[in-house]
Amino acid sequence: MAVLDKKKSKVNDKVPSSSMADIAFLLLIFFLVTTTFPKDKGLAIVLPEEGGEVEISPRNILHIIIQPNGLVEVKRGESQAVQTVTPEAIEGLWRQDVSENENLIAAVKTHPDAPYRFMVDVLDALHTAGAERISLQLFEG
Amino acid sequence: MPIKGGGFSRKSKASSDVPDSSMADIAFLLLIFFMVTTVFQKDRNQEIVWPEAEATQKIDEKLKNILNIWVQRDGSLFINDRPYTMGEITAVVGPLYAASDRALVISIRGDREVPYNTIDQLQKQLVAAGVLRVVFATELEQRMSRERR
Repeated sequence: MAVLDKKKSKVNDKVPSSSMADIAFLLLIFFLVTTTFPKDKGLAIVLPEEGGEVEISPRNILHIIIQPNGLVEVKRGESQAVQTVTPEAIEGLWRQDVSENENLIAAVKTHPDAPYRFMVDVLDALHTAGAERISLQLFEG
Repeated sequence: MPIKGGGFSRKSKASSDVPDSSMADIAFLLLIFFMVTTVFQKDRNQEIVWPEAEATQKIDEKLKNILNIWVQRDGSLFINDRPYTMGEITAVVGPLYAASDRALVISIRGDREVPYNTIDQLQKQLVAAGVLRVVFATELEQRMSRERR
């Protein structure tokens, strides 16, 4: 029937686009809020001030000598006895020694040819064990 | 016959609406402008192999107060994308440290295989520059034995 064909449909055939900008901004703000920039991370230490050398009783020093092959020699105070361990073992060792002497200071002496990562391993173990008095030195001798 | 409304009934053909269809375009244009002109980081990342540590902590310091010193495997040093020799470090870091009101934190980003001698020399240079707070930048190490505990 011709009459039916001529009737105009009253339904709007356009997709509503007026709120598109709102949706875009909503997404934008969502991503702005949820983005986190990677923070710097690492092992923090405080360097000594220049010329600020302090005399420390040899009894309170735990000598940690890092060899180029990654093994660590531990000497306690004035004793000449050398204990060779892995960097990971320093954590337990420090916990035990500091419970006996709470004034203990870790003197980390790294061989000039030892890779940086072995020093980081030892520093990591000391940080994990809660050590705060750490001295970083170059091994001479 | 009097004219209704004194002849003012003629409809104005000028639209009284402020055109707002292009508002979103303007907003995006501004947005893109600011995105393009914003500078986030002073230096680009160098290619190093990070040392790993379990005790890695996030550094609670503003990004502008952190100065990265990159140490490549061959011992070459980079600050803000520029190479420096070991002897220049004190002269470069000193003024930056003073300008930051002594709040500057130095992040030593050393390759894991770099000989410790280089790192030690760098520390001595930083001590000479008066810097106190130093971070050995590391990646967080995840060890299986630690998770099992």
